[in-house]
Amino acid sequence: MFHDLHVPWTDATRELQRTVAFLDELGYDVVALTYTYSGKLPSDLGSPIPGKLPFPTPSRMRILRRCNIFLTDSASNFRIPQLQQQYDLVAARPTDDRTLQQACQSLDVDIISLDMTRRFETHFKFPMLGTAISRGIKIELCYSQGIMSTDASAKRNLISNATQLIRVTRGRGLIFSSEAKSVLGIRAPSDVINLASVWGLGTERAKDGLTKEPRSAVEFARLKRQSFKGIVDIVYGGEKPAEKPSGAAKDKQAVKGKPNKNQNGKRPGESLEGTPLHETKEDKPISKRQQAKNKKAKNQP
Amino acid sequence: MVRVKNRYLVVNFLYPEPTVKSKTQLPDLVQIHSPTPDALKQGFIVRMIRDGVHELFGDYGSGMVSASLKVNYYSASTSTAIIRCPRDHYEMVWAALTYITRLPIPLDIPVVVRVVRVSGTIKKAEEEVIRRSQQIIKRARAWDAAGDLPMLQSVEKAVDRDRKSEGEVLAAVDEGSESDGMSE
Repeated sequence: MFHDLHVPWTDATRELQRTVAFLDELGYDVVALTYTYSGKLPSDLGSPIPGKLPFPTPSRMRILRRCNIFLTDSASNFRIPQLQQQYDLVAARPTDDRTLQQACQSLDVDIISLDMTRRFETHFKFPMLGTAISRGIKIELCYSQGIMSTDASAKRNLISNATQLIRVTRGRGLIFSSEAKSVLGIRAPSDVINLASVWGLGTERAKDGLTKEPRSAVEFARLKRQSFKGIVDIVYGGEKPAEKPSGAAKDKQAVKGKPNKNQNGKRPGESLEGTPLHETKEDKPISKRQQAKNKKAKNQP
Repeated sequence: MVRVKNRYLVVNFLYPEPTVKSKTQLPDLVQIHSPTPDALKQGFIVRMIRDGVHELFGDYGSGMVSASLKVNYYSASTSTAIIRCPRDHYEMVWAALTYITRLPIPLDIPVVVRVVRVSGTIKKAEEEVIRRSQQIIKRARAWDAAGDLPMLQSVEKAVDRDRKSEGEVLAAVDEGSESDGMSE
């Protein structure tokens, strides 16, 4: 299961279709289309990404919706709960140290996405990123700008930031995604893994950054939205199938119950422990010993 | 006498964006795997890689790599190539291939290079190329007669199942030296 959690959403349907087809061809299974809010959040937070895309998508691909918010000012209100209702993933892009710290420590987002093409004033520090990772927030590394950009300093900055991030986090909680403005910025999973290993991350860790870590981000976000306090989730509530006639449902239940239940309707393990209380006397034949006892009792005056 | 240790990269050139000239819209799968123009010769590929390594790793990188850089096999119609490079520095060549966005100047077509196998022997690399092209033919047949014959449907299903497995997506990389066979 390979994930690419940052594919910018565009209105150009043909372009997007091509991008999705190419991602499928390269072997990605989960793709998140990203809508970026730049500047102030509008009053209407409805997502511009439709639930069903206007073109046929590959059947085995799962498409998620994600939004990016720029953290320009730590004081402003980001209305994250509203965003969480609209999108499957919420990512924050800090612009300076203060907002990065805020995002790591208190903000309720799923992913912290850093702009790798610019220089950060200070080094990344582990305590700050460590709190984010321990809270289950992943840090995202977008490789596409380093490949597509014609600006040499952007490439340089991306490599330097990436190696620093890898050094600080030791590969924990890092996810790799493309942020490809066009189809050409997307690379195959093994190419990304090799790139990461050139940047100093082990191959296994790099693979985790494409499979395990993004998966945990996606599932964690889903649990946050659907479950009770992020802990209890009802997978199957035992609802009766509505449209089926009751007889058929009963039959099915009987068949389903068969393999681990004997005729009494009990599991094999249950019958081992003593005589059950509710068992009726009639169907149980009286034992020889009991018969003898009864006889003795009768004979005695 | 110790042999020179090499790695063979099996490389696919993919064309996700249509060229300006084509008017008809191809299906995406066909477009991605479209053939490379004939003008691209083996020499161009070597030069492209050497420039790429020089850009990423500087003089040190190109010096390390150039010792045994060579295109062993190249087929324009399937857009596949086998590239030989030194074993200790194949990651540099791979990274340079990842960074390629366009074919060199006389063609100048946007391209995405994908490494599908890193092998210690040229024989294994050749086998991989053959396996890949067989699979493409299978897929094309399945595409042709989708929903037609039950047998072809099952072929299509089997191919799809193959692709789902992780080993199919990731390029297999030979590690260490024990797998170096009788190449050279």
